Amino acid sequence: MSDTKFQASEAFAMASNDRTDGNATVPPPRSAIHSGDNSVWADASPLLHAACQDLKEGELIHGDNFNLYAAMSALEIMDPKMDSGIACKYYSLEEAIEDGAAPIPISVDKTTDVRCTIDIMDHLLACEATWHKGHSLAQTVYSCLYLLQTERTSSHALLHSYCKVIQETCKEVLSVVSDARTHEEEDLFTMSYGLPLGGNGDEKCLSMLNAVEETVSRQLRACKASSSKKRVSEDIEPLQNNPDLEEGYCKALLCRLRFRKHFYHLLISMRRPQGRGLELGRKHIASCIAEIDSIRKSSMFLRARAQEISGQNRSNTTASGNQPIGFDASINCRLAAPTPPRAIEILSWEKALDYFVKLLQDLDHICSYTLDPSLEAALLFVVNFQKSQPDLVSRAHLQILLVQGGKLYGREPIFSVVIRAAGLPEFTKSHVIQENEFMVQLGQLVINLLKILCTNAAWQRRKLGKMLQDWRVTYVQLELAFEKEFGETSNISDNKHISITIFQQILPWVEEQTYWIAYRFLILGFELELYSVHDYCMVYWYIYAVLTKLAEKKHIRMAMSSGTAKKKTKKKRDYLKDARTDYQIPAAVLFLQSQIYLAEGLSMMLAALRNEHKLVPPQSPFNTEREVFMQQFELLQKACLPDHVSYVTFKESTIHADFSTQVLSDHFKEAHRIAKDVKSSFAHDADMMAEIRRIEQVAEHNNIALNVISRVGALEPSLKISFTFTHHPFFATAIVKRS
Amino acid sequence: MEEEAVGEGSDAVGRARKLLFRRMLVGIKDGRFFLGGFYCIDKQGNIILQDAVEYRTTRRSSPSPLEQRCLGLILIPASCRATCHVDCSIDEQLSLLSLT
Repeated sequence: MSDTKFQASEAFAMASNDRTDGNATVPPPRSAIHSGDNSVWADASPLLHAACQDLKEGELIHGDNFNLYAAMSALEIMDPKMDSGIACKYYSLEEAIEDGAAPIPISVDKTTDVRCTIDIMDHLLACEATWHKGHSLAQTVYSCLYLLQTERTSSHALLHSYCKVIQETCKEVLSVVSDARTHEEEDLFTMSYGLPLGGNGDEKCLSMLNAVEETVSRQLRACKASSSKKRVSEDIEPLQNNPDLEEGYCKALLCRLRFRKHFYHLLISMRRPQGRGLELGRKHIASCIAEIDSIRKSSMFLRARAQEISGQNRSNTTASGNQPIGFDASINCRLAAPTPPRAIEILSWEKALDYFVKLLQDLDHICSYTLDPSLEAALLFVVNFQKSQPDLVSRAHLQILLVQGGKLYGREPIFSVVIRAAGLPEFTKSHVIQENEFMVQLGQLVINLLKILCTNAAWQRRKLGKMLQDWRVTYVQLELAFEKEFGETSNISDNKHISITIFQQILPWVEEQTYWIAYRFLILGFELELYSVHDYCMVYWYIYAVLTKLAEKKHIRMAMSSGTAKKKTKKKRDYLKDARTDYQIPAAVLFLQSQIYLAEGLSMMLAALRNEHKLVPPQSPFNTEREVFMQQFELLQKACLPDHVSYVTFKESTIHADFSTQVLSDHFKEAHRIAKDVKSSFAHDADMMAEIRRIEQVAEHNNIALNVISRVGALEPSLKISFTFTHHPFFATAIVKRS
Repeated sequence: MEEEAVGEGSDAVGRARKLLFRRMLVGIKDGRFFLGGFYCIDKQGNIILQDAVEYRTTRRSSPSPLEQRCLGLILIPASCRATCHVDCSIDEQLSLLSLT
């Protein structure tokens, strides 16, 4: 087969001569598409028509390699869902520009020009917020024809500088999200093929923006001076023609320009390595929020102007309510995949402003972080940060701050972070043991954990579940390495003694961390509403089992690092409930204890309700309770977290639960008592105090509910029991009603 | 258009079969052209092309340079097909495609 050659439009005009079917509506570029040497394009329509007539119903003409299943995947031309080449308004950007879809200047009348420029700025903000929410750049920000060819706007200072700063801003945001690799479920956010993303990232756009801001500021000062009949020293050309509107338009423009300036500065500050720009970032955030306030206030003036003009073409993506000029999402649709993108709705202007305010608040939360070198503090910070349900852009910024170049905050090597977390003395962080392959693996697991904790809840839970086995395997490998190297040595040198200590403290820390991940995996299920009320009993029981192990390992680790010569205990009895302990149980462990009692109490209460037929699970032919147990906890079971825990042990623990004894009530009472006692140790920590208060409330309310049920009798038919999460996001409170 | 006698109906089908996998240029009613390997046709006249390339002008109204993009396997419904040409040598053109 000869190669196809593609000729220019001169051949185009000649092509219409040799058509045989007489259809002259569309001149074919057959000559423009070369058929090759010594060959021609021959009309096959008559032959195909005849062949089709002779075919039987359902018969196809096809080759030997034909596969009907594969043929079903063919894109159907002229189907709007599959064919992105269908003629929309314009075939190309050039055609749109020639047709006047993006005029420069927008209008010869300066007032109209300014008004339209503001509409463009507002719509771009709405597009930007829509993009952040998870759509593609091509359909949102780059639906702006002015952005697709910014050179055209160079004669229009306002539009040009604004477009340039938008390009640079989007490029910055895109770069952070790409680096963090938190695209999560849909990769639409980072798709930018063929789009003119921007220049070299130099801050030239800022100097242009500053110049324009300066000009508009002077214009504002001039119009204020002339309105108060003061003498104007400079000869300033006004922004637009109508002196009565000059102040309003100047103010509306200034807050929009200033917002963009501060937002861009904010992104640059936050990108500075090792969190050096965080404090400056907070200042820019404050300015951004102030400018957004001014932007909102400008809408009244702009809407009033708009109503004078036209009642048609209303749009909720601008402050004025007018449709912006120069936007067409379909121009870019061929740049993406062969199939057309899903139709999307651009966020309203009001919602876009709300989005940016939330984004700024979340970024402020990040900028206020003190970069505590403790891993535990970092993990807690991320967990607390996630409570406000931050969006992709802020989460990506947090991840970039936490993990840079394989180090915590770009400055703490991961091994020294682990050493500190395990409670080992500082000098051990340079020990050669860090080159052990399993120590390196452990470091990688810690980095991955930090990254995963910055993703959205659904993605996070999935990845945390998968991570459990990796942590478990690494633990086993470390344990084996330890035993291999030091198991049989009788003569232990000083250096080896340190190695032993390192291993001995890191091992329980690894276990503790693994159980923490398991705990997080389980409670995220509540946030994602993955459990039905009939699953709560087994979920709380499993939480109780995991928390018990977590507390045990934490206690061991803390005891070891506090210097008390305690041998690693392998006893599996109720370590924590032993009142004859001869030392203070650390507050962190006590806090876990209160949660353990709470989880146990809830699990037993739910088991009792089930045993007394107050909470009857639906009889499903598909899933027995055992199958539900296996499905819910498969990943934990595979990783043996904890060991010796199974459906059988779950049943054994819960089969005899009932309301007749005081045992159930004791769990909630203990939870309440311990929470109250541990408060004094956390007086300095606002988040912990809030959490302890929540636990107290849940324990108290459940205790009351329990008393009512015991008094009335669980079998009383008028008694209705339901569960709610009003007091705590994942520890339920029982509500008892008598109908 | 002359039609073959019923007894020689398979002749047209046979000759159409010989066109399989040849480069085929299908024009559709909105002015676009698709160049690809002839893969399949059914009784209704719907054509499937493989490794298809779409050619489109950059201006709807006036003659202008063509732009192209690759689409892979496509189905062109008979209802939107305007023209259909096949790449062949001058000799073949007479024997293969002539119906007289």
